[in-house]
Amino acid sequence: MMENTVMLLITVPILFSLLFLVLGKSLYKILAWAFFIFGTVFSVLLVMDGTGRFEITGSNFAMIENVVLILEVLVILFIFFVSAKYKNWPTLGLAVIVAAISAYSYMNVAAIESASFNIDQFSQVMVLIVNIVGTAIILFATGYMDEYEEHRHLNRQKTFYFTMSFFIAAMNGLVMVDTLGWLYLFWELTTLCSFVLISYNMDEEGINNGFRALALNLVGGISFAIAIILLSTKFNISTLSGIGTEAASATVVALPAALLCIAGFAKSAQMPFHSWLLGAMVAPTPVSALLHSSTMVNAGVYIIVKLVPAFAGTSLGTAIAVYGSFTFVMCSALALSQRNAKRVLAYSTIANLGLIIASAGIGTPLAVAAAIMLILFHAISKALLFLCTGEIEHTIGSRDIEDMSGLIKKAPLLTILAALGMVSMLLPPFGVLLTKWVSMQAASQNPIVIVFLILGSALTTVYYAKWLGTIMSSTMDKNVVTHKKPETYFPLSFLGSAIVVTSILVFAIYDYFIRPQVETLLNAAPVISGQAGQFASEIGAFAYAAIFVVLALALLIYVATKNMFTPRKSSYYMCGENNLEMDRLMFRNGLCSYDKSNVSNIYLENTFGESKLTTIGYAISIILIVIALAGGVL
Amino acid sequence: MNVNDVLTAVLVLIGAPIIGCLAAGIDRKLTARLQGRVGPPLLQPYYDVKKLLSKDNMIVNESQNLYVVVYVAFMILSLLMLVFKADILMIIFVYTISSIALIVGGMSTGSPYARIGSSREIMAILSYEPVLILYALAIYLVTGTFKLSAVLDASTPLLMYTPLIFIAMLFVLNIKLKKSPFDYSTSHHAHQELVKGMLTEYSGPGLAGIEIGHFYEYVFLTGLIFVFWTVNPLIGVLISIAAFLLVIVIDNITARVYWQWMLKLSWTLLLAISIVNIAFLYITKPTLV
Repeated sequence: MMENTVMLLITVPILFSLLFLVLGKSLYKILAWAFFIFGTVFSVLLVMDGTGRFEITGSNFAMIENVVLILEVLVILFIFFVSAKYKNWPTLGLAVIVAAISAYSYMNVAAIESASFNIDQFSQVMVLIVNIVGTAIILFATGYMDEYEEHRHLNRQKTFYFTMSFFIAAMNGLVMVDTLGWLYLFWELTTLCSFVLISYNMDEEGINNGFRALALNLVGGISFAIAIILLSTKFNISTLSGIGTEAASATVVALPAALLCIAGFAKSAQMPFHSWLLGAMVAPTPVSALLHSSTMVNAGVYIIVKLVPAFAGTSLGTAIAVYGSFTFVMCSALALSQRNAKRVLAYSTIANLGLIIASAGIGTPLAVAAAIMLILFHAISKALLFLCTGEIEHTIGSRDIEDMSGLIKKAPLLTILAALGMVSMLLPPFGVLLTKWVSMQAASQNPIVIVFLILGSALTTVYYAKWLGTIMSSTMDKNVVTHKKPETYFPLSFLGSAIVVTSILVFAIYDYFIRPQVETLLNAAPVISGQAGQFASEIGAFAYAAIFVVLALALLIYVATKNMFTPRKSSYYMCGENNLEMDRLMFRNGLCSYDKSNVSNIYLENTFGESKLTTIGYAISIILIVIALAGGVL
Repeated sequence: MNVNDVLTAVLVLIGAPIIGCLAAGIDRKLTARLQGRVGPPLLQPYYDVKKLLSKDNMIVNESQNLYVVVYVAFMILSLLMLVFKADILMIIFVYTISSIALIVGGMSTGSPYARIGSSREIMAILSYEPVLILYALAIYLVTGTFKLSAVLDASTPLLMYTPLIFIAMLFVLNIKLKKSPFDYSTSHHAHQELVKGMLTEYSGPGLAGIEIGHFYEYVFLTGLIFVFWTVNPLIGVLISIAAFLLVIVIDNITARVYWQWMLKLSWTLLLAISIVNIAFLYITKPTLV
């Protein structure tokens, strides 16, 4: 039963990607709805099937193994081809290295006789994210891409939907397979999808950024491949779960674990690899939402969390925790100085992935629980925020935060959904903040990590608060027509309600998925009650209910008292210089003509600007990685 | 939830605004005396609120008063959580909700004055929030739990181990009460004011709501100071009152500077002394018993 679901989760998305290729544009909407329903139903089915692992052996294995080999060769050939075509020599050089390593491993590493899939609770969570959030994003794209292409005179939707659906298949494989060789193939396939989609516009900027993403992820891939060879030749390990078991029996697997973590850092766009994710923002918004915020970048942190048994409580773990929390505070500071909404979200994504990595590095049961929960909540909130930004861009024609003032008047529903996304990132009772709270409590044993988390958390509050305030502010110009399409507004509302529902059900989610998973990884469940771990008592009994109730009460009181004080509307204060005869928005200046008042937020570019911080960020993050590696070897 | 808890909650709901109102009255009286005036009667803040409630509800948009209700509601919730000795980190996050509500409320009006005020208040958050969370961390380090009940059960005052954080918290009190030299976003007195900053477009019942919220906030913030000395509640109350009076005196002897100055002060001096204090706690590992 489980075997069938797993195979269907990989093959049906490929089938969908082929359908997108052969069918006409007019059928895309129906296909996307069907894909969304398939994704939702089958990911839930997988959860119903329960956990477990199964092996593929015999002739089936031989056949699939051959397909895997052919695909790996094709991936390398494709990279050779594109990097030669666009004369991108660094990428070509990296591809040569990858090819050499693959050839070496083909000849020197003993062939495996079977491959296994391992479905644990973490895989289930990831499959839910990929197949529900992911297909919702594809559905959104069907309402988005026509207008996007119209603006840019493009006609590449076949490539777009093919790659997006193919990516879902690759991602499903990545989170379910246990054999490292196969995992590596899926890993490289997501890199390739990312490259194709970033260079979607086919202009110079897009292609350059695509190659940057490809090159940096190939560096991660090389690190991954070396780790596989080391594990196989020195420790005779060929599965991901094997690393954890081996670490438990006191074998030192720190070096390959550190190499796999570096592959994860590259995929999760941590400093110093973060530039590819910023460059990826040239791609259409659904790509940013699917690959670069809620799904693909999770592959990196997924691997790192799975490796927790290999470094929990060691110096390597501490180094990873410091590194992750450093990225968190650095990228939060960088986000503060950005006006471009997509860049703010990109930095926020990197920062939150850093927080996940920091939690994994701390390695206590409480911290690991926080890491897995943050992956889930962050994926939903960030997908919503990215899609909202895309829709805002189509509504007002800009992604500059300053241009978004007055949005509440122009597109109320969209603004409320975007506001919900932002509030869920920075305030209780929503999931992201609660997991941040849990990771802070878990990190309080490590002085450096906790101080970084505290500073980063304050910076996060600031950059979201000013954006939130800007979209909620009501200037009175109202010259925008919104097109409410079901394909775009359904995914938005769906994700919005998912935020609320998962936040209310957080304890059930914790109990069903996260607690057993942490037990599998660390042989110990988080301390739910008792001194430091007030996790369960707070989440289950008090903090949640209280805040939701007070929120509901506040709304009730507002509605009840609204009519007690009959409102009288007026225009805002302009020192008596409003232009009452016109739109009341402008004020009379010294020359007795009218000017629009214009106020912008504070961005502190001189302190937190990219030019000030990026170099320091590169330097310190590279030093921290070297320390982590050194800690792994010694 | 037993009868006692309900009674305490009701007492806080009714008692806190009365204490806060008196504190605001003392503030105005003391300020007047320091400026060589007679000053208004002690109950003037109460008369103000009463008058504001009877005024017309002038608004620039429909939603601006919703933020006031959220502000007051979460102000009350954070005070109640403090009284019921809940998780201090959680209390700080709940308190953030009310701060953000007021900021977004100010920005929602679209007035340029309010937006400037709100921007500055966001910078105030950047200044005080790290210190506030370090204060929570200090409580964890000496008690082994973020729950305030541990501090209240101990027989040594928290202040013994956290003198530097206490000093930093006095600055936080100054920033949060929006007193000079940190009254950038809006201020209670009409001196050195850019119109009325964040609250420019609030009048009548909306402004009355904000004033009532401020009364709760007075009690909440001095409550955070009270936590430093809970062994003998009388000394704790005296320290809180002294801290409050100190802030008022500072308000009257200083003038508003640039908001950049606040940020620099906080991210250098205040963070440094707090971190030194925290480092001391990590090294010596004292336990509050």
